Amino acid sequence: MKSRRATPQTADLFAAADAVFAPHSKPPKPRLSRYAGGMPPTPLPAGSPRPRQLWYAVVFPELFYVEHSAAVLQRLCLHAQAFTSFVSIEPPNALLLEIRGSLKLLGPLEHLHANLDACWRRLALKAQSATAPSTLAALWFARAGESVSGRPVIVEDVATLPGQMATLPLACTCWDAGHLQTLRSMGVTRMGELLRLPRAGIARRFGTDRVQDLDVALGRQSAPRRAFVPRERFRERCDFETEIEHAAYLEKALEPLIARCAQFLRERQAGVQALQLKLRHREGPATRVRLGLASVTSERRRLTDVLIQKLERLELAAPVRGMELISGSLQPLSAGSLDAFAGLAGTRAGRGRDSVPHLVERLRARFGDEAVYGVRSIAEHRPEAAWRRVHDLRFVSRGSQTAVQGTSEHGMPRPVWLLDEPALLPQQPVQLLKDGWILEQGPERIESGWWDGSGVARDYYIARYAQGARLWIFRERQSKRWYLHGMFA
Amino acid sequence: MPRDLSSLADILADARVWKLKDASAAPTRPVWSTGNSALDARLPGGGWPTASLIEVLLDQTGLGEVQLFLPALVECQRNIGPGRSDDAPWLVWIAPPHEPYAPALAQQGIELGRLLVVRPPSATEALWAAEQALGSGVCAAVLLWLKGSDDRWLRRLKLAAEAGGALGVLFRPERHRFESSPATLRLMMTQGEQEARLDLLKVQGGRPGPVDLGSP
Repeated sequence: MKSRRATPQTADLFAAADAVFAPHSKPPKPRLSRYAGGMPPTPLPAGSPRPRQLWYAVVFPELFYVEHSAAVLQRLCLHAQAFTSFVSIEPPNALLLEIRGSLKLLGPLEHLHANLDACWRRLALKAQSATAPSTLAALWFARAGESVSGRPVIVEDVATLPGQMATLPLACTCWDAGHLQTLRSMGVTRMGELLRLPRAGIARRFGTDRVQDLDVALGRQSAPRRAFVPRERFRERCDFETEIEHAAYLEKALEPLIARCAQFLRERQAGVQALQLKLRHREGPATRVRLGLASVTSERRRLTDVLIQKLERLELAAPVRGMELISGSLQPLSAGSLDAFAGLAGTRAGRGRDSVPHLVERLRARFGDEAVYGVRSIAEHRPEAAWRRVHDLRFVSRGSQTAVQGTSEHGMPRPVWLLDEPALLPQQPVQLLKDGWILEQGPERIESGWWDGSGVARDYYIARYAQGARLWIFRERQSKRWYLHGMFA
Repeated sequence: MPRDLSSLADILADARVWKLKDASAAPTRPVWSTGNSALDARLPGGGWPTASLIEVLLDQTGLGEVQLFLPALVECQRNIGPGRSDDAPWLVWIAPPHEPYAPALAQQGIELGRLLVVRPPSATEALWAAEQALGSGVCAAVLLWLKGSDDRWLRRLKLAAEAGGALGVLFRPERHRFESSPATLRLMMTQGEQEARLDLLKVQGGRPGPVDLGSP
């Protein structure tokens, strides 16, 4: 193998090129196997005729000079995805579509090709297109445009590819200008002339990449491409004809945006947990309204409710000229998510039209995230540390939540209200008892937390006021002072 | 007109006709036991009515006013009525005067994972929140603490409670005692000689008067 690569083979012409220019002499298999020049091509295994790919390439000459051509191409990809699931971007101004898979549904080929061309025409875009069994061939044909035959080039059979490519000007390969100049000075301006040159010579002079390009173009080597994946985010703006000064009027304008957003989500069977509304003013930075939802949703009514709640409380700094609705990243709607069967529940129960996340969202949209919370108890002896607020609410279905919060085995009952800070009782215990206080239960000694610096050493009592109020008081053991810590409401 | 008077059954079926018998008889809607037999006996149906508004008047906390409702709250969290969706038994506490102490509630059997505390910035906002929670149909009970509010809002709360099938409990200062109220039940808690006193001010389908709670 090594020695073979080292010896330049003058007769080592491109087999397919031979086949074209001497059509009756089929390239025999052994010749293909001798093909070791720069790198071994990977011909398809003879025994298994795999269905070849078919590529439709479209070049937009105008986009060559456009600054943000990438964004435009991405948008064009979305149009192209109506025809095939595999669309690939070829910067700066071309798209490649795999259309073999679409032929059954949208074929025949001429029909599909014409439909694709019509799509660009509808968008008022100047486009050059071609179809070929390999990506590069299709691209080169498209770049060459219709100048070759007057009609778009459509090559379906890989065997006829080299012949069709023979007349292609080399400029359409977009290779390095220096290389093209060298080739021109050698008298090589057409693809056919290049294909007749020895492979090893090309590899030596112009680099193995050029040989590889030719292999790919002729369909001898596969060149995997990356498919375009649409950006999964909803973003749409709407501009007003007149400036809007009151937030109330924004709601009307917002409705179609939300409807489209909900539609967008439904089509993708996804939901969002965050949204952002940007209100643009004539000058100054845009007002951003961010909102979070308690759970992933795609429900239009929930989105509307939350946004309108926010808008109602919004003070507009300046009149609004336009707005933009931007969704957060899409998340799949899981089967367990609560609104998957929201509609069903509504019809069955008649009035179960709401869900808990929905309610929480509405409350939070109005009062802020901090104002709506849950509570949990913690296994801890110090009363003030035995609970905490929970802002990350979980909406698990009933039953899956077992009683994790082991009901504390405190001897004494705990009060329903706990003061934020223990309040120092002004009177001395003797005075308290004289005033009609009764110590009903106690003492319960709580001595804990010495290790983290906020240790307590207290004796707790349940005291009853003469008039019936029951309080939770304690005596600090060191200072011997009495504090009120809770109320048995 | 003659068509309207065709039969007694038709007249009775008319929603505009209020039937006295039904009002005094035991209500068909379910009730939650108060956990106190003396109080149960005084309430029509033997417990707190669901899907209604209860008003508690008191000036001082610590009288065991929440304790009156805790057994019912535990019960309604455990039981889901027929036809209710799976996520029904939530409790919402709006503007409580102090922090609800989680260990105490857990001790009493409240499922803390389904308790929501809301702290609205003002009384009007609190009423709005209560109306939303009551009418949402996902809450078993909504407890609301207010310094004061007008009759119009209470009527809205009552309608929301009936629509959402939730028990609404409103705690208000005693000075509202002589105002009219659309609540189904009105209680007043005051300090007594030894224990707190409970007075039933208004009982739809029952008899008002003081209740001896006895030993709880």
